[in-house]
Amino acid sequence: MTNVIEAEQRSFMTGNEVVAWAALAAGAEFMYGYPITPQNEIMHYWTRLAPKFKRGFLQTEDELSAGFATLGGVMAGRKSFCATAGPGNVLMQEPISMAEMMRIPAVWFIQQRGGPSTATVIYSQQETRLTCLGGNGEGNRLVYSTASHQEVFDYAIKAFNNAWNYRFPTFVLGDGYQAKMREAVTLYDPAQRGIELHGTSRMLGRSSKQLDGQQVRHYRNTFNIEEELYETLMQHIADWDHMAEEVVEWAWEGDEEPDLLLVAHGVVSRAVYAAYEHLKSAGYNVAYFRPITLRPFPVAALQRAAGRCRQLLVAESAYGQLLSLVRDSLYGKTCAPIEGLLRPGLGITEELVVEWAQRLLARVG
Amino acid sequence: MVERVEAFVGEYAAGKSEVAVNRALALRQQGKQVTLVDLDLVEPTFTLRPLKHQLEGQGLNVIAWETAQTFGLGEAGMQLHPQARSAMLRTGHLVCDVGYGVFGSEVLNLVEGALACPHLGVYLVVNTTRPMTSSVDLILEEAKLFNPLHGLLNNTHLGAETTVELVQRGAQIVQVAANELNLPVIATPALAEIAQQMDGYDVCGNPVWPLRRYLQTAFW
Repeated sequence: MTNVIEAEQRSFMTGNEVVAWAALAAGAEFMYGYPITPQNEIMHYWTRLAPKFKRGFLQTEDELSAGFATLGGVMAGRKSFCATAGPGNVLMQEPISMAEMMRIPAVWFIQQRGGPSTATVIYSQQETRLTCLGGNGEGNRLVYSTASHQEVFDYAIKAFNNAWNYRFPTFVLGDGYQAKMREAVTLYDPAQRGIELHGTSRMLGRSSKQLDGQQVRHYRNTFNIEEELYETLMQHIADWDHMAEEVVEWAWEGDEEPDLLLVAHGVVSRAVYAAYEHLKSAGYNVAYFRPITLRPFPVAALQRAAGRCRQLLVAESAYGQLLSLVRDSLYGKTCAPIEGLLRPGLGITEELVVEWAQRLLARVG
Repeated sequence: MVERVEAFVGEYAAGKSEVAVNRALALRQQGKQVTLVDLDLVEPTFTLRPLKHQLEGQGLNVIAWETAQTFGLGEAGMQLHPQARSAMLRTGHLVCDVGYGVFGSEVLNLVEGALACPHLGVYLVVNTTRPMTSSVDLILEEAKLFNPLHGLLNNTHLGAETTVELVQRGAQIVQVAANELNLPVIATPALAEIAQQMDGYDVCGNPVWPLRRYLQTAFW
Protein backbone atom coordinates (compact mmCIF):
# COMPACT_ATOMS: atom_id res chain seq x y z
CA MET A 1 0.00 0.00 0.00
CA THR A 2 1.36 3.43 -0.95
CA ASN A 3 2.25 5.52 2.05
CA VAL A 4 -0.67 7.78 2.73
CA ILE A 5 1.42 10.42 4.41
CA GLU A 6 5.04 10.60 3.38
CA ALA A 7 6.20 13.09 5.96
CA GLU A 8 4.41 14.80 8.81
CA GLN A 9 2.65 17.85 7.50
CA ARG A 10 0.78 20.65 9.23
CA SER A 11 -2.35 21.28 7.20
CA PHE A 12 -5.35 23.59 7.40
CA MET A 13 -8.55 21.70 7.00
CA THR A 14 -12.07 20.96 8.17
CA GLY A 15 -12.89 18.16 10.58
CA ASN A 16 -14.59 16.04 7.95
CA GLU A 17 -11.45 16.09 5.83
CA VAL A 18 -9.41 15.05 8.86
CA VAL A 19 -11.68 12.01 9.25
CA ALA A 20 -11.05 10.96 5.66
CA TRP A 21 -7.28 11.37 6.02
CA ALA A 22 -7.24 9.64 9.39
CA ALA A 23 -9.17 6.66 8.07
CA LEU A 24 -6.66 6.39 5.21
CA ALA A 25 -3.71 6.65 7.58
CA ALA A 26 -5.26 4.02 9.87
CA GLY A 27 -5.38 1.58 6.97
CA ALA A 28 -9.14 1.61 6.44
CA GLU A 29 -9.91 -0.22 3.21
CA PHE A 30 -13.58 0.45 2.67
CA MET A 31 -16.10 3.11 3.51
CA TYR A 32 -19.81 2.46 3.22
CA GLY A 33 -21.93 5.52 3.39
CA TYR A 34 -25.05 7.46 2.80
CA PRO A 35 -25.14 11.25 2.51
CA ILE A 36 -26.32 13.39 5.38
CA THR A 37 -25.25 16.85 6.44
CA PRO A 38 -22.91 17.66 8.14
CA GLN A 39 -20.73 14.64 7.39
CA ASN A 40 -20.91 14.59 3.58
CA GLU A 41 -17.37 15.85 3.08
CA ILE A 42 -16.06 12.70 4.75
CA MET A 43 -17.44 10.82 1.74
CA HIS A 44 -16.39 13.50 -0.72
CA TYR A 45 -12.77 13.39 0.40
CA TRP A 46 -12.65 9.64 0.91
CA THR A 47 -13.93 9.05 -2.64
CA ARG A 48 -11.46 11.58 -4.05
CA LEU A 49 -8.51 10.02 -2.25
CA ALA A 50 -9.52 6.35 -2.23
CA PRO A 51 -8.58 5.50 -5.84
CA LYS A 52 -5.06 6.84 -5.30
CA PHE A 53 -4.55 4.47 -2.40
CA LYS A 54 -6.60 1.56 -3.76
CA ARG A 55 -9.35 1.83 -1.17
CA GLY A 56 -13.02 1.31 -1.87
CA PHE A 57 -16.34 3.00 -1.35
CA LEU A 58 -19.98 2.08 -1.71
CA GLN A 59 -22.93 4.36 -1.30
CA THR A 60 -25.95 2.34 -0.28
CA GLU A 61 -29.64 3.18 -0.47
CA ASP A 62 -29.90 4.32 3.13
CA GLU A 63 -28.15 4.27 6.48
CA LEU A 64 -29.58 0.91 7.51
CA SER A 65 -27.88 -0.78 4.63
CA ALA A 66 -24.75 1.38 4.93
CA GLY A 67 -24.32 0.09 8.47
CA PHE A 68 -25.01 -3.52 7.55
CA ALA A 69 -22.77 -3.29 4.49
CA THR A 70 -19.99 -2.07 6.81
CA LEU A 71 -20.42 -5.19 8.93
CA GLY A 72 -20.37 -7.27 5.78
CA GLY A 73 -17.11 -5.66 4.73
CA VAL A 74 -15.62 -6.44 8.13
CA MET A 75 -16.79 -10.04 8.00
CA ALA A 76 -15.15 -10.35 4.61
CA GLY A 77 -11.90 -9.36 6.28
CA ARG A 78 -11.64 -5.67 5.30
CA LYS A 79 -11.05 -2.77 7.65
CA SER A 80 -14.32 -0.91 7.11
CA PHE A 81 -15.98 2.19 8.48
CA CYS A 82 -19.08 4.28 8.23
CA ALA A 83 -20.11 7.85 9.02
CA THR A 84 -23.43 9.46 9.76
CA ALA A 85 -25.35 12.06 11.73
CA GLY A 86 -28.74 12.82 13.23
CA PRO A 87 -31.59 10.71 11.87
CA GLY A 88 -28.97 8.61 10.06
CA ASN A 89 -27.52 7.75 13.47
CA VAL A 90 -30.98 6.68 14.59
CA LEU A 91 -31.18 4.28 11.63
CA MET A 92 -27.67 3.00 12.30
CA GLN A 93 -28.74 1.61 15.66
CA GLU A 94 -29.96 -1.56 13.95
CA PRO A 95 -26.63 -2.52 12.39
CA ILE A 96 -24.78 -1.26 15.48
CA SER A 97 -26.90 -3.54 17.68
CA MET A 98 -25.98 -6.43 15.42
CA ALA A 99 -22.31 -5.52 15.74
CA GLU A 100 -22.69 -5.53 19.53
CA MET A 101 -24.39 -8.94 19.50
CA MET A 102 -22.05 -10.61 17.02
CA ARG A 103 -18.92 -8.80 18.25
CA ILE A 104 -18.11 -7.39 14.82
CA PRO A 105 -15.51 -4.64 14.98
CA ALA A 106 -16.28 -1.49 13.01
CA VAL A 107 -15.71 2.23 13.33
CA TRP A 108 -18.34 4.94 13.02
CA PHE A 109 -17.74 8.68 12.75
CA ILE A 110 -20.72 10.60 14.08
CA GLN A 111 -21.12 14.34 13.35
CA GLN A 112 -23.93 15.38 15.65
CA ARG A 113 -26.56 17.75 14.37
CA GLY A 114 -29.73 19.17 15.91
CA GLY A 115 -32.40 16.73 16.98
CA PRO A 116 -34.79 15.14 17.33
CA SER A 117 -35.58 14.03 13.79
CA THR A 118 -34.44 16.32 10.94
CA ALA A 119 -34.15 19.39 13.23
CA THR A 120 -31.06 21.27 12.02
CA VAL A 121 -28.18 20.28 9.78
CA ILE A 122 -25.77 22.25 11.92
CA TYR A 123 -24.78 21.15 15.41
CA SER A 124 -25.66 19.70 18.76
CA GLN A 125 -24.49 17.20 21.36
CA GLN A 126 -27.85 15.49 21.23
CA GLU A 127 -26.62 12.14 19.99
CA THR A 128 -24.56 11.45 23.08
CA ARG A 129 -27.07 9.08 24.62
CA LEU A 130 -27.85 7.50 21.27
CA THR A 131 -24.22 6.87 20.39
CA CYS A 132 -23.35 5.53 23.86
CA LEU A 133 -26.48 3.58 24.68
CA GLY A 134 -28.67 3.40 21.59
CA GLY A 135 -30.08 0.28 20.01
CA ASN A 136 -31.77 -2.57 21.82
CA GLY A 137 -28.76 -3.75 23.77
CA GLU A 138 -26.63 -2.90 26.78
CA GLY A 139 -24.40 -0.28 25.16
CA ASN A 140 -21.36 -2.52 24.76
CA ARG A 141 -19.55 0.12 22.74
CA LEU A 142 -16.45 2.28 22.82
CA VAL A 143 -17.13 5.98 22.30
CA TYR A 144 -14.51 8.73 21.98
CA SER A 145 -15.64 12.37 22.19
CA THR A 146 -13.13 14.61 20.42
CA ALA A 147 -12.58 18.33 20.84
CA SER A 148 -10.04 19.25 18.15
CA HIS A 149 -8.93 18.19 14.70
CA GLN A 150 -5.75 16.74 16.12
CA GLU A 151 -7.83 14.56 18.41
CA VAL A 152 -10.04 13.47 15.51
CA PHE A 153 -6.91 12.27 13.71
CA ASP A 154 -5.31 10.66 16.78
CA TYR A 155 -8.46 9.01 18.10
CA ALA A 156 -9.53 7.77 14.68
CA ILE A 157 -6.33 5.73 14.54
CA LYS A 158 -6.94 4.55 18.11
CA ALA A 159 -10.55 3.73 17.27
CA PHE A 160 -9.59 1.42 14.41
CA ASN A 161 -7.01 -0.35 16.53
CA ASN A 162 -9.24 -0.72 19.56
CA ALA A 163 -12.25 -1.83 17.54
CA TRP A 164 -10.30 -4.75 16.08
CA ASN A 165 -8.53 -5.46 19.33
CA TYR A 166 -11.57 -5.60 21.59
CA ARG A 167 -14.28 -6.30 19.00
CA PHE A 168 -16.90 -3.79 20.05
CA PRO A 169 -18.44 -1.18 17.76
CA THR A 170 -16.30 1.92 18.19
CA PHE A 171 -17.22 5.55 17.68
CA VAL A 172 -15.54 8.89 17.17
CA LEU A 173 -18.24 11.29 18.29
CA GLY A 174 -17.89 14.72 16.70
CA ASP A 175 -20.44 17.34 15.73
CA GLY A 176 -21.31 19.76 12.96
CA TYR A 177 -18.99 22.44 14.29
CA GLN A 178 -16.00 20.13 14.41
CA ALA A 179 -17.00 18.80 10.98
CA LYS A 180 -16.96 22.21 9.33
CA MET A 181 -14.62 24.37 11.37
CA ARG A 182 -11.14 24.97 10.05
CA GLU A 183 -7.94 24.67 12.02
CA ALA A 184 -4.41 23.37 11.66
CA VAL A 185 -3.69 19.68 12.21
CA THR A 186 -0.61 17.50 11.88
CA LEU A 187 -1.19 14.51 9.63
CA TYR A 188 1.24 11.67 10.22
CA ASP A 189 1.90 8.09 9.30
CA PRO A 190 1.14 6.04 12.45
CA ALA A 191 4.13 3.77 11.75
CA GLN A 192 6.45 6.77 11.95
CA ARG A 193 5.23 7.36 15.47
CA GLY A 194 5.60 3.76 16.50
CA ILE A 195 1.90 3.01 16.31
CA GLU A 196 1.22 -0.47 15.02
CA LEU A 197 -1.99 -0.92 13.08
CA HIS A 198 -4.14 -3.87 14.10
CA GLY A 199 -4.63 -6.41 11.32
CA THR A 200 -7.91 -7.86 10.12
CA SER A 201 -8.98 -11.38 9.26
CA ARG A 202 -11.91 -12.94 7.50
CA MET A 203 -14.77 -13.78 9.78
CA LEU A 204 -16.69 -15.70 7.11
CA GLY A 205 -15.97 -17.44 3.85
CA ARG A 206 -12.92 -19.38 4.89
CA SER A 207 -12.46 -22.78 3.36
CA SER A 208 -12.43 -25.90 5.53
CA LYS A 209 -8.68 -26.06 4.87
CA GLN A 210 -8.27 -22.62 6.41
CA LEU A 211 -10.38 -23.58 9.36
CA ASP A 212 -7.77 -26.20 10.06
CA GLY A 213 -9.96 -28.69 11.85
CA GLN A 214 -11.62 -26.02 13.97
CA GLN A 215 -15.35 -25.90 14.44
CA VAL A 216 -17.31 -24.03 11.84
CA ARG A 217 -17.67 -20.37 12.79
CA HIS A 218 -21.21 -19.37 13.50
CA TYR A 219 -21.82 -15.76 14.39
CA ARG A 220 -25.11 -15.58 16.16
CA ASN A 221 -27.31 -12.62 16.77
CA THR A 222 -30.31 -14.73 17.65
CA PHE A 223 -30.87 -17.23 20.46
CA ASN A 224 -33.49 -19.81 21.32
CA ILE A 225 -34.06 -19.31 24.99
CA GLU A 226 -33.43 -16.63 27.60
CA GLU A 227 -30.65 -18.49 29.33
CA GLU A 228 -28.59 -18.74 26.14
CA LEU A 229 -28.85 -15.01 25.59
CA TYR A 230 -28.03 -14.28 29.22
CA GLU A 231 -24.89 -16.41 29.17
CA THR A 232 -23.67 -14.84 25.94
CA LEU A 233 -24.40 -11.30 27.07
CA MET A 234 -22.73 -11.75 30.44
CA GLN A 235 -19.61 -12.91 28.63
CA HIS A 236 -19.72 -9.84 26.37
CA ILE A 237 -20.18 -7.62 29.41
CA ALA A 238 -17.21 -9.24 31.12
CA ASP A 239 -15.14 -8.55 27.99
CA TRP A 240 -16.43 -4.99 27.90
CA ASP A 241 -15.57 -4.42 31.57
CA HIS A 242 -12.08 -5.70 30.88
CA MET A 243 -11.74 -3.34 27.89
CA ALA A 244 -13.12 -0.45 29.93
CA GLU A 245 -10.21 -0.59 32.38
CA GLU A 246 -7.72 -0.39 29.55
CA VAL A 247 -9.30 2.28 27.33
CA VAL A 248 -10.99 4.76 29.65
CA GLU A 249 -9.69 8.33 29.20
CA TRP A 250 -10.41 11.71 30.73
CA ALA A 251 -8.86 15.11 31.45
CA TRP A 252 -8.92 16.70 34.90
CA GLU A 253 -7.35 19.92 36.06
CA GLY A 254 -7.54 22.25 38.99
CA ASP A 255 -8.18 22.22 42.65
CA GLU A 256 -8.96 18.99 44.50
CA GLU A 257 -11.45 20.77 46.74
CA PRO A 258 -12.96 23.20 44.27
CA ASP A 259 -15.87 25.51 44.97
CA LEU A 260 -17.02 24.56 41.48
CA LEU A 261 -16.22 21.64 39.21
CA LEU A 262 -16.92 22.33 35.53
CA VAL A 263 -17.79 19.31 33.38
CA ALA A 264 -18.18 19.12 29.58
CA HIS A 265 -17.32 16.84 26.64
CA GLY A 266 -16.45 17.28 22.99
CA VAL A 267 -16.23 20.73 21.43
CA VAL A 268 -18.03 22.34 24.38
CA SER A 269 -15.06 21.36 26.55
CA ARG A 270 -13.01 23.97 24.66
CA ALA A 271 -15.27 26.79 25.80
CA VAL A 272 -15.49 25.30 29.29
CA TYR A 273 -11.73 24.94 29.56
CA ALA A 274 -11.30 28.56 28.47
CA ALA A 275 -13.85 29.54 31.13
CA TYR A 276 -11.98 27.48 33.73
CA GLU A 277 -8.71 29.27 32.94
CA HIS A 278 -10.44 32.64 33.02
CA LEU A 279 -12.00 31.91 36.42
CA LYS A 280 -8.76 30.50 37.81
CA SER A 281 -6.80 33.61 36.84
CA ALA A 282 -9.57 35.70 38.40
CA GLY A 283 -8.76 33.94 41.66
CA TYR A 284 -11.65 31.49 41.88
CA ASN A 285 -11.21 28.02 43.32
CA VAL A 286 -12.33 25.91 40.37
CA ALA A 287 -11.62 22.64 38.61
CA TYR A 288 -12.32 21.15 35.19
CA PHE A 289 -13.27 17.61 34.17
CA ARG A 290 -13.66 16.31 30.65
CA PRO A 291 -14.60 12.71 29.85
CA ILE A 292 -12.80 11.69 26.65
CA THR A 293 -14.29 8.21 26.51
CA LEU A 294 -18.01 8.61 27.08
CA ARG A 295 -18.39 4.89 26.98
CA PRO A 296 -16.78 3.65 29.17
CA PHE A 297 -17.51 6.76 31.19
CA PRO A 298 -14.62 7.65 33.53
CA VAL A 299 -16.71 6.96 36.62
CA ALA A 300 -13.91 6.45 39.14
CA ALA A 301 -12.01 9.50 37.91
CA LEU A 302 -15.08 11.72 38.13
CA GLN A 303 -15.84 10.41 41.60
CA ARG A 304 -12.32 11.43 42.64
CA ALA A 305 -12.63 14.85 40.98
CA ALA A 306 -16.02 15.50 42.55
CA GLY A 307 -15.19 13.89 45.87
CA ARG A 308 -14.66 17.10 47.75
CA CYS A 309 -16.20 19.70 45.45
CA ARG A 310 -18.94 21.99 46.67
CA GLN A 311 -20.97 22.01 43.47
CA LEU A 312 -20.81 20.96 39.84
CA LEU A 313 -21.80 22.63 36.60
CA VAL A 314 -22.34 20.40 33.57
CA ALA A 315 -22.46 22.24 30.24
CA GLU A 316 -23.75 20.58 27.06
CA SER A 317 -25.54 21.33 23.80
CA ALA A 318 -28.27 18.87 24.73
CA TYR A 319 -30.91 18.66 27.44
CA GLY A 320 -29.24 16.46 30.04
CA GLN A 321 -27.58 13.69 28.06
CA LEU A 322 -24.16 14.29 29.62
CA LEU A 323 -25.82 15.37 32.88
CA SER A 324 -27.43 11.92 33.21
CA LEU A 325 -24.07 10.20 32.78
CA VAL A 326 -22.57 12.50 35.43
CA ARG A 327 -25.41 11.95 37.88
CA ASP A 328 -25.26 8.22 37.31
CA SER A 329 -21.54 8.20 38.12
CA LEU A 330 -21.87 10.29 41.25
CA TYR A 331 -24.97 8.71 42.78
CA GLY A 332 -24.39 8.13 46.46
CA LYS A 333 -20.93 9.67 46.26
CA THR A 334 -21.69 13.34 46.66
CA CYS A 335 -24.26 15.67 48.13
CA ALA A 336 -22.93 18.54 46.04
CA PRO A 337 -25.60 20.13 43.87
CA ILE A 338 -25.20 19.30 40.16
CA GLU A 339 -26.41 22.12 37.92
CA GLY A 340 -26.88 21.85 34.17
CA LEU A 341 -26.12 24.54 31.58
CA LEU A 342 -28.28 22.82 28.99
CA ARG A 343 -28.52 24.23 25.46
CA PRO A 344 -29.94 21.65 23.04
CA GLY A 345 -28.67 22.41 19.54
CA LEU A 346 -27.01 25.70 20.51
CA GLY A 347 -23.33 26.52 20.74
CA ILE A 348 -21.96 27.35 24.18
CA THR A 349 -19.46 30.17 24.56
CA GLU A 350 -16.77 30.78 27.16
CA GLU A 351 -18.60 33.95 28.20
CA LEU A 352 -21.82 32.07 28.94
CA VAL A 353 -20.02 29.48 31.04
CA VAL A 354 -18.17 32.19 32.99
CA GLU A 355 -21.45 34.00 33.65
CA TRP A 356 -23.12 30.84 34.99
CA ALA A 357 -20.05 29.83 36.97
CA GLN A 358 -19.78 33.22 38.64
CA ARG A 359 -23.41 33.04 39.69
CA LEU A 360 -22.88 29.59 41.22
CA LEU A 361 -19.61 30.64 42.87
CA ALA A 362 -21.38 33.61 44.46
CA ARG A 363 -23.69 31.12 46.17
CA VAL A 364 -20.86 29.51 48.11
CA GLY A 365 -19.41 32.96 48.83
CA MET B 1 -24.85 47.37 -16.15
CA VAL B 2 -22.07 45.97 -13.97
CA GLU B 3 -18.64 47.03 -15.24
CA ARG B 4 -16.39 44.44 -13.62
CA VAL B 5 -16.97 40.92 -12.37
CA GLU B 6 -14.62 39.09 -10.02
CA ALA B 7 -15.45 35.50 -9.13
CA PHE B 8 -13.54 33.57 -6.48
CA VAL B 9 -13.38 29.85 -7.13
CA GLY B 10 -11.37 26.98 -5.72
CA GLU B 11 -11.25 23.95 -3.51
CA TYR B 12 -13.49 23.44 -0.50
CA ALA B 13 -12.20 25.52 2.44
CA ALA B 14 -9.56 27.29 0.32
CA GLY B 15 -10.71 30.64 1.66
CA LYS B 16 -12.93 31.78 -1.21
CA SER B 17 -15.63 33.40 0.93
CA GLU B 18 -13.21 35.17 3.26
CA VAL B 19 -11.30 36.58 0.28
CA ALA B 20 -14.53 37.54 -1.55
CA VAL B 21 -15.91 39.42 1.47
CA ASN B 22 -12.65 41.25 2.07
CA ARG B 23 -12.23 42.09 -1.61
CA ALA B 24 -15.77 43.46 -1.80
CA LEU B 25 -15.14 45.65 1.25
CA ALA B 26 -11.78 46.84 -0.11
CA LEU B 27 -13.45 47.89 -3.41
CA ARG B 28 -16.12 49.70 -1.40
CA GLN B 29 -13.35 51.49 0.52
CA GLN B 30 -12.11 52.73 -2.85
CA GLY B 31 -15.51 54.33 -3.38
CA LYS B 32 -16.91 51.76 -5.81
CA GLN B 33 -20.47 50.46 -5.88
CA VAL B 34 -20.15 46.80 -4.97
CA THR B 35 -22.56 43.87 -5.04
CA LEU B 36 -21.51 40.61 -3.37
CA VAL B 37 -23.31 37.48 -4.56
CA ASP B 38 -23.57 34.13 -2.80
CA LEU B 39 -23.20 31.49 -5.54
CA ASP B 40 -22.73 28.48 -3.30
CA LEU B 41 -24.88 25.70 -4.76
CA VAL B 42 -23.72 22.98 -2.39
CA GLU B 43 -24.50 24.74 0.83
CA PRO B 44 -26.26 27.88 -0.31
CA THR B 45 -26.24 30.63 2.27
CA PHE B 46 -23.83 28.76 4.50
CA THR B 47 -21.32 31.54 4.39
CA LEU B 48 -22.86 34.88 3.59
CA ARG B 49 -26.25 34.57 5.27
CA PRO B 50 -25.14 35.37 8.85
CA LEU B 51 -23.00 38.27 7.61
CA LYS B 52 -25.53 39.89 5.33
CA HIS B 53 -26.68 42.67 7.66
CA GLN B 54 -23.23 43.45 8.92
CA LEU B 55 -21.86 43.77 5.39
CA GLU B 56 -24.81 45.85 4.23
CA GLY B 57 -24.10 48.13 7.14
CA GLN B 58 -20.64 48.59 5.68
CA GLY B 59 -22.04 49.72 2.34
CA LEU B 60 -22.18 46.51 0.32
CA ASN B 61 -25.17 45.22 -1.60
CA VAL B 62 -25.45 41.56 -0.68
CA ILE B 63 -27.40 39.02 -2.71
CA ALA B 64 -27.98 36.14 -0.30
CA TRP B 65 -30.90 34.79 1.64
CA GLU B 66 -31.51 36.16 5.12
CA THR B 67 -31.64 33.56 7.87
CA ALA B 68 -35.35 34.18 8.44
CA GLN B 69 -36.07 33.50 4.77
CA THR B 70 -34.42 30.08 4.77
CA PHE B 71 -36.07 26.78 5.62
CA GLY B 72 -34.08 23.80 6.75
CA LEU B 73 -30.83 25.16 5.30
CA GLY B 74 -30.69 22.78 2.36
CA GLU B 75 -32.37 19.81 4.03
CA ALA B 76 -35.60 20.58 2.20
CA GLY B 77 -33.97 21.71 -1.04
CA MET B 78 -32.55 25.14 -1.80
CA GLN B 79 -32.95 27.87 -4.36
CA LEU B 80 -30.47 30.38 -5.57
CA HIS B 81 -31.60 33.88 -4.64
CA PRO B 82 -33.60 35.19 -7.65
CA GLN B 83 -31.69 38.49 -7.57
CA ALA B 84 -28.53 36.57 -8.43
CA ARG B 85 -29.93 35.89 -11.88
CA SER B 86 -30.10 39.58 -12.76
CA ALA B 87 -27.13 40.75 -10.74
CA MET B 88 -25.44 42.13 -13.89
CA LEU B 89 -28.16 44.82 -14.11
CA ARG B 90 -26.64 46.51 -11.08
CA THR B 91 -23.85 49.06 -11.34
CA GLY B 92 -20.20 49.03 -10.44
CA HIS B 93 -18.48 45.83 -9.32
CA LEU B 94 -19.86 42.36 -8.88
CA VAL B 95 -17.99 40.04 -6.54
CA CYS B 96 -19.06 36.41 -6.69
CA ASP B 97 -18.39 33.87 -3.95
CA VAL B 98 -18.60 30.63 -5.94
CA GLY B 99 -18.96 27.61 -3.67
CA TYR B 100 -17.11 24.35 -4.25
CA GLY B 101 -18.72 21.67 -6.39
CA VAL B 102 -18.47 19.96 -9.74
CA PHE B 103 -19.67 22.79 -11.96
CA GLY B 104 -16.54 24.91 -11.78
CA SER B 105 -16.79 28.24 -13.54
CA GLU B 106 -20.07 27.23 -15.20
CA VAL B 107 -21.90 28.29 -12.07
CA LEU B 108 -21.47 31.81 -13.40
CA ASN B 109 -23.99 30.92 -16.13
CA LEU B 110 -26.62 31.44 -13.46
CA VAL B 111 -25.77 35.13 -13.39
CA GLU B 112 -27.06 36.22 -16.78
CA GLY B 113 -24.39 37.98 -18.77
CA ALA B 114 -21.58 37.51 -16.25
CA LEU B 115 -19.44 35.26 -18.42
CA ALA B 116 -19.82 37.70 -21.34
CA CYS B 117 -18.65 40.68 -19.29
CA PRO B 118 -15.58 42.25 -20.96
CA HIS B 119 -13.98 42.78 -17.54
CA LEU B 120 -14.38 39.32 -16.06
CA GLY B 121 -11.91 37.84 -13.62
CA VAL B 122 -12.35 34.25 -12.42
CA TYR B 123 -9.69 33.68 -9.76
CA LEU B 124 -8.54 30.42 -8.20
CA VAL B 125 -8.00 30.76 -4.46
CA VAL B 126 -5.22 28.44 -3.28
CA ASN B 127 -4.03 27.55 0.22
CA THR B 128 -0.92 25.40 -0.15
CA THR B 129 -1.22 24.04 3.40
CA ARG B 130 -4.22 22.06 2.20
CA PRO B 131 -3.12 18.60 0.96
CA MET B 132 -5.08 18.70 -2.31
CA THR B 133 -3.37 21.94 -3.40
CA SER B 134 -0.03 21.61 -1.68
CA SER B 135 2.19 21.30 -4.75
CA VAL B 136 2.45 22.77 -8.23
CA ASP B 137 1.11 19.56 -9.82
CA LEU B 138 -1.86 19.44 -7.52
CA ILE B 139 -2.67 23.11 -8.12
CA LEU B 140 -2.56 22.49 -11.87
CA GLU B 141 -5.00 19.59 -11.38
CA GLU B 142 -7.34 21.84 -9.45
CA ALA B 143 -7.06 24.62 -12.03
CA LYS B 144 -8.23 22.24 -14.79
CA LEU B 145 -11.69 22.27 -13.23
CA PHE B 146 -12.19 25.94 -13.96
CA ASN B 147 -12.75 27.34 -17.41
CA PRO B 148 -12.52 30.28 -17.85
CA LEU B 149 -9.81 31.08 -15.34
CA HIS B 150 -7.98 34.40 -15.32
CA GLY B 151 -5.66 34.27 -12.35
CA LEU B 152 -4.59 32.71 -9.07
CA LEU B 153 -4.54 33.97 -5.52
CA ASN B 154 -2.05 32.78 -2.92
CA ASN B 155 -4.16 32.38 0.21
CA THR B 156 -1.63 30.16 1.97
CA HIS B 157 -2.17 30.18 5.72
CA LEU B 158 -2.50 27.99 8.81
CA GLY B 159 -5.06 30.06 10.67
CA ALA B 160 -3.64 31.36 13.92
CA GLU B 161 -0.30 29.66 13.21
CA THR B 162 0.40 31.59 10.02
CA THR B 163 3.85 33.08 9.61
CA VAL B 164 5.24 35.39 6.94
CA GLU B 165 7.65 32.65 5.94
CA LEU B 166 4.78 30.25 5.31
CA VAL B 167 2.91 32.79 3.19
CA GLN B 168 6.02 33.49 1.13
CA ARG B 169 6.66 29.78 0.52
CA GLY B 170 3.07 29.51 -0.66
CA ALA B 171 3.57 32.52 -2.93
CA GLN B 172 6.47 30.77 -4.63
CA ILE B 173 4.54 27.55 -5.22
CA VAL B 174 1.51 29.41 -6.56
CA GLN B 175 3.72 31.54 -8.81
CA VAL B 176 5.25 28.46 -10.44
CA ALA B 177 1.80 27.01 -11.03
CA ALA B 178 0.57 30.33 -12.43
CA ASN B 179 3.55 30.50 -14.82
CA GLU B 180 2.70 27.00 -16.09
CA LEU B 181 -0.86 28.12 -16.71
CA ASN B 182 0.22 31.41 -18.31
CA LEU B 183 -1.87 33.26 -15.77
CA PRO B 184 -1.04 36.05 -13.33
CA VAL B 185 -0.98 35.73 -9.57
CA ILE B 186 -3.47 38.46 -8.77
CA ALA B 187 -2.52 38.86 -5.12
CA THR B 188 -1.53 37.24 -1.84
CA PRO B 189 -4.34 37.81 0.64
CA ALA B 190 -3.03 37.63 4.22
CA LEU B 191 -4.21 38.46 7.72
CA ALA B 192 -3.56 42.11 8.53
CA GLU B 193 -0.90 41.34 11.16
CA ILE B 194 1.00 39.23 8.61
CA ALA B 195 0.39 41.64 5.73
CA GLN B 196 1.88 44.45 7.81
CA GLN B 197 5.21 42.63 7.86
CA MET B 198 5.28 42.19 4.09
CA ASP B 199 5.49 45.76 2.87
CA GLY B 200 2.79 45.62 0.23
CA TYR B 201 4.20 42.83 -1.97
CA ASP B 202 5.04 39.16 -1.59
CA VAL B 203 8.42 37.67 -2.45
CA CYS B 204 7.31 37.20 -6.08
CA GLY B 205 6.34 40.82 -6.42
CA ASN B 206 2.58 40.30 -6.27
CA PRO B 207 0.40 42.67 -4.23
CA VAL B 208 -0.59 41.69 -0.70
CA TRP B 209 -4.26 42.13 0.21
CA PRO B 210 -4.64 42.59 3.98
CA LEU B 211 -7.51 40.51 5.34
CA ARG B 212 -9.75 40.77 8.35
CA ARG B 213 -11.52 37.59 9.44
CA TYR B 214 -15.28 37.73 8.96
CA LEU B 215 -16.19 34.09 8.45
CA GLN B 216 -15.39 33.09 12.04
CA THR B 217 -18.42 34.97 13.27
CA ALA B 218 -20.47 33.45 10.47
CA PHE B 219 -20.14 30.08 12.13
CA TRP B 220 -22.93 30.30 14.62
